[in-house]
Amino acid sequence: MTYYHDQVLKISRRIYAKDDLTRQIIRAKHFIDKNYADKINLHQVASEACISKFHFIRLFKLYYGITPNQYLGSVRIQRAKEYLADNLAVADVCFAVGFDSIPYFTTLFKKMTGTTPALFQKKARAKKAIYRKNLLG
Amino acid sequence: MVDNQEKALKFYTGILGFVKKTEVPLGEHKWLTVVSKEEQDGVQLLLEPMGFEPARVFQKALFEAGIPFTAFNVDDVDKEYERLLKAGVVFSMKPTQMGPTKLTVFNDTCGNNIQLVQVL
Repeated sequence: MTYYHDQVLKISRRIYAKDDLTRQIIRAKHFIDKNYADKINLHQVASEACISKFHFIRLFKLYYGITPNQYLGSVRIQRAKEYLADNLAVADVCFAVGFDSIPYFTTLFKKMTGTTPALFQKKARAKKAIYRKNLLG
Repeated sequence: MVDNQEKALKFYTGILGFVKKTEVPLGEHKWLTVVSKEEQDGVQLLLEPMGFEPARVFQKALFEAGIPFTAFNVDDVDKEYERLLKAGVVFSMKPTQMGPTKLTVFNDTCGNNIQLVQVL
């Protein structure tokens, strides 16, 4: 066994000692991955992990480095980028990925990607046009 | 840092599945980068020639301790492990779960350990 492998096992035992807890947190993350487009809230996600809401937020952050809400936001924005690149209208994208307010969606999108949904889409269209042009020679 | 750029290019494209992005001759060596097949406009991986003795000492120490020089995210560590094993890649750490991640480490044949990471 290498020194590194040994360290990985030590960290695993020290920080993630409770296998059941690890499984519960991972299950809650998968719940977000699967249901991000619905109106899910923290109570639902925490109950998926069978943990109280406040304890759950703290543990999720310990495991993934961000809060469950931040993670939900990042999953939604990632999916939104794909829809925008597929040319769906900004408002439709906003609701399709689970947001219920366009200003909130736009603000979060800008915060996470550095650009607005409309500009992102414009750039994606330009990129596609260049790609098509190159393909046709 | 790789000890042989030609060999590294073959391994990173032929075995791992990266795509060559730039190859600019620079005398004895070249500016050689590869990118992920799924994100060819994304971050480039520089296959930098080993040409600085102190770096060689550093690289050797990391390699011997099994410490990865860098890590790549994948969707399924077990699947990649099986695929690469069949392709003859040598692993120093089999897929191992560490909390919310699954990790595995292999030899890139050019002087480095590389880690694959799956966020569970």
